[in-house]
Amino acid sequence: MKVLGISAHYHDSAAALLVDGVPVCAVQEERLSRHKNDAAFPAAAIEWCLNHAALEPADLDAVVFYERSMLKFERILTCALRAFPRSWRSFPNAMKNSLGEKVWARGIISSHLGVPRDKILFTQHHESHAAAAFLTAPTRRAAILTADGVGEWATLTVGHGERRRDGRTDITLLREIRFPHSLGMLYSTFTAYLGFAVNEDEYKVMGLAAYGRPTLTGQVGKLIRRTPDGAFALVPEYFEYQTTASRSYSSRFVELFGPPRNPYDPIDLETADGRRFADCAASVQRVLEDTLVDIARALHQETGLSDLCFGGGVALNGVANARILAESGFERLFVPPAPGDAGCAVGAALYADRIYLGNPDRDVPDHPFWGPEVDAKELARAAREDDQDVIELEDAAMIERVADELAADRVIGWMDGATEFGPRALGHRSILAAPHSHEMRDRLNRDIKYREEFRPFAPVVPIEAADTYFELPPGGARLARFMSGVFPVRPEWRARLAAITHIDGSARLQALEREMAPRLHALLEAYGRRSGIPVLLNTSFNLSGEPIVTRALEGYSTFRRCGIDVLVAGPTLVSKRATVRARPLKEDVAWWSGSLAGSGGV
Amino acid sequence: MSPLARVAPLDRILLPVHRWVWNDFDRRVRKLLAFAEVESDGGRDILRAAEVTPDALLRRLYLEHAIDELHHGDLFRQRGAALLRTRSTRLRTLFNGTPLPGGHGLDDLSIQDEPDHRLLAFLHVAEKAAAGRFTIYRDLVDDDPQTRAIFEEILRDEVFHMNYTYTQLARVMPRSYRWQVWRARASRLWKRYLRVAAGIASVVGNAVLTIMYFILLPPFAWMARRAERREPVGWTPISRTRDDSPTGQY
Ligand SMILES: [Fe+2]
Ligand SMILES: [Fe+2]
Ligand SMILES: [Fe+2]
Repeated sequence: MKVLGISAHYHDSAAALLVDGVPVCAVQEERLSRHKNDAAFPAAAIEWCLNHAALEPADLDAVVFYERSMLKFERILTCALRAFPRSWRSFPNAMKNSLGEKVWARGIISSHLGVPRDKILFTQHHESHAAAAFLTAPTRRAAILTADGVGEWATLTVGHGERRRDGRTDITLLREIRFPHSLGMLYSTFTAYLGFAVNEDEYKVMGLAAYGRPTLTGQVGKLIRRTPDGAFALVPEYFEYQTTASRSYSSRFVELFGPPRNPYDPIDLETADGRRFADCAASVQRVLEDTLVDIARALHQETGLSDLCFGGGVALNGVANARILAESGFERLFVPPAPGDAGCAVGAALYADRIYLGNPDRDVPDHPFWGPEVDAKELARAAREDDQDVIELEDAAMIERVADELAADRVIGWMDGATEFGPRALGHRSILAAPHSHEMRDRLNRDIKYREEFRPFAPVVPIEAADTYFELPPGGARLARFMSGVFPVRPEWRARLAAITHIDGSARLQALEREMAPRLHALLEAYGRRSGIPVLLNTSFNLSGEPIVTRALEGYSTFRRCGIDVLVAGPTLVSKRATVRARPLKEDVAWWSGSLAGSGGV
Repeated sequence: MSPLARVAPLDRILLPVHRWVWNDFDRRVRKLLAFAEVESDGGRDILRAAEVTPDALLRRLYLEHAIDELHHGDLFRQRGAALLRTRSTRLRTLFNGTPLPGGHGLDDLSIQDEPDHRLLAFLHVAEKAAAGRFTIYRDLVDDDPQTRAIFEEILRDEVFHMNYTYTQLARVMPRSYRWQVWRARASRLWKRYLRVAAGIASVVGNAVLTIMYFILLPPFAWMARRAERREPVGWTPISRTRDDSPTGQY
């Protein structure tokens, strides 16, 4: 049975394909369209998935959309009504936005794919999150927690799931917290207030939090109060997102926290304002963690289960995840590599397959590599045409060569196999570098990622060695499988792991099992033989504002535009040649211009 | 071909408007920041062209072009930000973004699906127009040498872009390159017309929706608010009986 899952229209669209209950591929639209956070209908992602599996749309048994679009529209309309007459400005755009395309999900899917309308199914947004978290995790019974900005109405749900011996699957969501009460929206509001891009830069708030002290939790506590039943409610006077589409915090919010940050101003922690912003970040981070830990602890007591599966965009918060693992009573915490809305494409397909269609339970491979493969020949051809240094090496020789380059402080663009599904680069589309010095961190920030310097880089370490360098609690290595937890670097190693140790001594590490990415694992070991420490700095292979690279040529064009020294795709290694530079090319072309001018140009 | 950018007649007529825009501090900053986005977006599109073209020389040129445009984006952004820092402005209210998702606009062209000659013709026409505009702006910011210097620098690049796209177009389409340029010009005008038409339609649509808002919504708004007051806060149980029809959008 072939089931296509689709997530679209709001943030980060994606498509995923299940064949006989097992995912065969999944990709975010942005990785193909090259528009970051592409929210358009994922036509390219769907086409790629179908091609990859050699299927025609007519072969599909079901196409599943990840949320109930009419229910979402109902929420948007209801909120506009509740805010009458203050919502008059935003009402026309909200209606046009929804009525243009988003409400008609069924029609759009059927017109794009030509599948009959009765094959198009819908799950609820948080059911998709729940399935993406639970059915991809190697557990048979678990509690389920989902939290994000908002789906249809729900912003947070709790429940449990079971994959039964007889092959049937249960997913029961027990309770939900409804819009406008939302941890995701609370965090995003601070993201906007702190001058970062909402729905995108939430992790910068988490990074900034480490520089501040949670001195403003009292003020944050005025925005969010706990309800007697253990849930929470936001105090609407401080927010505007529920009434307008263009602002998230109100003037009362500004009275409470002071003027917002101008996004074009760098954050200077030497100034009072800079420290205030860091304290704001630390405080909302603390409140988010405390709330999640309380909800998870209550869920643990209620279900008595030892595993928790956590999905939704809030599950990208690695600091909160580590605290949930440490304090809620659950022994294991599973966060999928794509807990956000893109992952709902997989979740919706799995939910429909197991619950709606009643198909038998299947194990889902425990890795994040579901996208297009890299074509090393494409890289070799382009690089040779451009007179770059290209060599081809056998696997073992390649690993040794790259380890040598890393040991010589060169920065590597590393492409290997299929792309990751989800926002993290987990070893198939990564920029790798030596993790030891502040200089390397600064160089990466300055010459490669072109980004704010308060953000830490992440390390990757073989799972066998993780405990030597990092303080992992029980269950920590699992959380670190997809870089979902932030843990302390052991104090004795911090000085030698300076490029990946955050100001508070922590790191968002990836603990790598050999089977998951054998070449990267071998590279870590080879690098360990040279440096004594089998740890590498691993950051996503993209420049700021761009999606992670997919094809070899995207890696190559990135390599050509920034300070990456060596580019690797499969057996192909390209070293940057200093002489291939811009001006000679321009002069070259000037000749063309001159010759044409003679013949009479424009 | 003259290396100097020519100012379009329309822009000459609109000179007082341009002057009005550039003379105001807030508007100037806003313009610079908007240019930053336009240049960066353009840079990414051209980067895409470099990644998909089968032509090795074009790939190198597009790549250099993209690097230039991304650099222009940075220059505008830095200058806008620097000006912003010199004074507090009304712009601050613009930064209160919302986490609720928005939509997509009208894209000018889909790089992946365009053959190189179409793209080159389009770029040539666009670069020429940009160069003309930037010449005006450079002259209008005489009071601000740093911004002027940025326009100077960018103008040099734009002239290069304008030239190489033309010569490459002549290379890949030696027989019909002039016709390609005319076609690109016509399609640019058509797109501009579409954009204006869509803009007008949007204004009319907004007006109709706003009227409906005030005429039709009040009773429903009253009911919605009453219902809201009755709504409990905290947990809402998810009933097993809730409509779980797999094909329902509700
Ligand atoms: Fe979500
Ligand atoms: Fe430019
Ligand atoms: Fe240009």
